Amino acid sequence: MTDHPPFMIPILISAVATFLVRALPYYATFLDRLPPFLSKSLRLLPIAALGPLIFPGVILNYEKSWYAGLLGIAAAALFAYKRQSMIIPILLSIGVTYLALLL
Amino acid sequence: MQSELTFKQGYKEGFPIFVGYFPTAMAFGLVCRDLGLRIWEAVLFSLTNFAGSGQFLAANLIGKGAILAEIFISVLLVNLRYSFMGAEMSRKLTKGIGGWQRVLLAHGTTDEVFSVAVWHNQPITKYYLAGLECTAYAGWVSGTAAGFLVGMILPSALQLAVGVTLYAMFSSLLAQEFRQKGFKVLLIAAISAILNSVLIMLLHLGVGWAFVISMLAASFIGAAITDDIQEYV
Repeated sequence: MTDHPPFMIPILISAVATFLVRALPYYATFLDRLPPFLSKSLRLLPIAALGPLIFPGVILNYEKSWYAGLLGIAAAALFAYKRQSMIIPILLSIGVTYLALLL
Repeated sequence: MQSELTFKQGYKEGFPIFVGYFPTAMAFGLVCRDLGLRIWEAVLFSLTNFAGSGQFLAANLIGKGAILAEIFISVLLVNLRYSFMGAEMSRKLTKGIGGWQRVLLAHGTTDEVFSVAVWHNQPITKYYLAGLECTAYAGWVSGTAAGFLVGMILPSALQLAVGVTLYAMFSSLLAQEFRQKGFKVLLIAAISAILNSVLIMLLHLGVGWAFVISMLAASFIGAAITDDIQEYV
């Protein structure tokens, strides 16, 4: 156990942060009474989060084959745009990325 | 008169979420294995966090050796949407649910659980929500363990390909938001994506701070250029 990094601490820190935002609306109601601009900004956070969750990670993750992940997410996005589904786009992107890495 | 929502109905409606979570959680299990976590740590991660993007972000930050404050603030912000989902769900919840039951129900809030639960035009019972959340939870936790175990036998190219799962999930979400809400969705996501890339690749800022700055800046810009709140709720 001696040289194993203390992963428990960051895992639990992350758990506490997650639980706080989840529990908040069950115990406080001020979220309904924020100034309009702030509440508008907060409601846009999920959309604003999508950009940095994808870039630049999807490129850097594949190093020399930088295009592999891009092809994968392009396939997923195209399919998801046409049809309401979560499973098929994900499986499709794994297939496309795998092929791009092999070629 | 509609009949009350039952545990069984929650469990049934949760099944597609289970199927969707499983491969994504497998990707998370693989990431944990690469980071050097033990299997029980990976499973504990999913048990205590139960948050896709938050967990991937936290794992990424742990891998980069980020300080604890960076992890805490980044995870808090990326999961802040749960506060708004929870506010909506707790309004629709039947009255008189106390103490520990509220804590447990709050822990089960996710994007997918929310989007399934709020669709009902009647009060949400604790039994229904428990059925829905437990099914989603089971998919997430068991997927994490499966991914960790499969990682031992999967060829490395395929492991790398499975890593795209997370990005595929977010780009699918973006495509669906774009279809429903129009061009401004793409604009806001593009602003935050470009900002984040510049901060990380050119200015070499920590991943957590870059994420926080680009996400907040893009939502403020978005709020300034959006007139109607309703279309984005």
